[in-house]
Amino acid sequence: MTLLDVRGLSASYGKVQALFDCSFSVGDGEFVALLGANGAGKTTMLRALSGIARSSGTISFDGQRLDARPPEERLRLGIAHVPQGRGTFAEFTVDENLSLGAITLSDAAQVRRDKERWYQTFPRLRERRNRLAGNLSGGEQQMLAVARALMSRPKLLMCDEPSLGLAPAITAEIFEIFKDLHKRHRMTLLVVEQNADLTLQFADTAFVIETGHIVATSPAHEMLHNQDIQKSYLGV
Amino acid sequence: MNSRSLPTFIKVGAAAIALIAPVFLPDFLLFEVCIALSYSIAVLGLNLLMGFAGQICLAQGALFGFGAYVTAYLNAEFGLSPYWTLPAAAVLTAAAGLAVGLPALRLQGLQLAIITFGIAAAFPQALLKFDWLTGGVSGLPIDSLETPAPFAGRPELWLYLVTVACAGVAVLLVSLVLFGDTGRTLRAQRDNAQIAEALGVNLTKVRLWAFGISSALAGLGGGVFAILNGFISPQSFLAAVSINIVIASIVGGTTTITGAFIGGLFIVFVPTWTSDINLALGNVIYGLALIGVMMISGNGVVGLVKKLVCGMLQTTSGNVPSLKSIQGRKQWIALRK
Repeated sequence: MTLLDVRGLSASYGKVQALFDCSFSVGDGEFVALLGANGAGKTTMLRALSGIARSSGTISFDGQRLDARPPEERLRLGIAHVPQGRGTFAEFTVDENLSLGAITLSDAAQVRRDKERWYQTFPRLRERRNRLAGNLSGGEQQMLAVARALMSRPKLLMCDEPSLGLAPAITAEIFEIFKDLHKRHRMTLLVVEQNADLTLQFADTAFVIETGHIVATSPAHEMLHNQDIQKSYLGV
Repeated sequence: MNSRSLPTFIKVGAAAIALIAPVFLPDFLLFEVCIALSYSIAVLGLNLLMGFAGQICLAQGALFGFGAYVTAYLNAEFGLSPYWTLPAAAVLTAAAGLAVGLPALRLQGLQLAIITFGIAAAFPQALLKFDWLTGGVSGLPIDSLETPAPFAGRPELWLYLVTVACAGVAVLLVSLVLFGDTGRTLRAQRDNAQIAEALGVNLTKVRLWAFGISSALAGLGGGVFAILNGFISPQSFLAAVSINIVIASIVGGTTTITGAFIGGLFIVFVPTWTSDINLALGNVIYGLALIGVMMISGNGVVGLVKKLVCGMLQTTSGNVPSLKSIQGRKQWIALRK
């Protein structure tokens, strides 16, 4: 079943167009990688989907049209966005950051239960729940950003360059968590990455985006072994 | 004495002094304190808007004046008791604030500052222009409050209590807004608007709410100011008042509630004291005092006190503020700054 269906999506910043007529779909429970070089339009794609960047074209999500809706409503419908560079609030504690993730929800008891649930998935965050987020390591902040996004009870979790500035071992740990979310919690994931090799090992499907166009789509394991794509677009 | 009880101890002490001291203060001084409190209510609103929501507004003095005129007009024209004009002043000023805020909030930072300052600059002129409504240069009178029998001998004391009650309502309102999710949302959109938006914060709505509440408090403060004076004219609401309110906010500490009161007292008393020192050099000394406060403590007087309290605790007992308490965290933040 298709969860997200994007048709003819274009986006621009003023006169500079960043996405050209992109179409793709993401199935329910699928782990999708969005790959591409610097400036290809990956971040813009996520921003257009979450409604922070303006776009034209149609976006259908879970049977509903999203394109005219503001970010807040899209989040309520189940699209969570972990922005690039994490963006945890430095002067808030870990626990407060998680509370911020749930501001679209009103059931306090449910929010508390959700917190406990994600503290189980991210035990490091539980240990540091009363620390200021600004005092966490980069990897912990990334985990916090992901957990915070999960607090909104999304159907689709979009994560922008989770590996940015992290040591390979920590990056691998984050991807193990994605795998766990995907397999155990049946979460649909859309992950933007420059680290193609690692991402392709975990994802089901991969899209390659270049200068605002989607130029390749294939199952992740095929792309992992496709020398042409790797050479032409991913610079491996 | 642990790190948590000291600030509470200070607050309780200050509240006790606030309640007992007026009995012994001379009438004129008590009146000045009341005026300072009326400004403090507007400053408190600005702290919410500028300190917690991160929106610079230089029209707080104009909104303060708007509230004062609502009070005076309702009293002079419709004979409404001054008591009842206060909630009306708050509500109508909130509406006026929203009318300003709705278009202005499309802009941010310095642009918003300039637009709101334009309003502050135009306000006294507009008061003169609409003289059929505002009385023009001659201003509007306000009936004095009906004083209950026990205070008949000293109506100033009753005025003081009414002013304190209004300030209390303002503190309660701001505390409620800052408590829990709403407060977090405000601070989150201030610290990083884009991320907050990604988390589902409706930026326009949150900022408008902050603007509305801040304006309501400006209006309430203005209403109190009008009642205290018994007479208002455009002369009391020049653009400088808006700047003074911003100064009060910054001197006290923009992200504090206590700071609003310190700031209010500062802008009323310090200029008088400095001109007492030397009439000709009054403004110079006042200016130096402002520079001094900012150099000693970037986060206002309250920030400075926190820093000192924190330092004292560390040197006397080696007690490092606990990050588990909110107070302890505030101290850490104050220390880092």
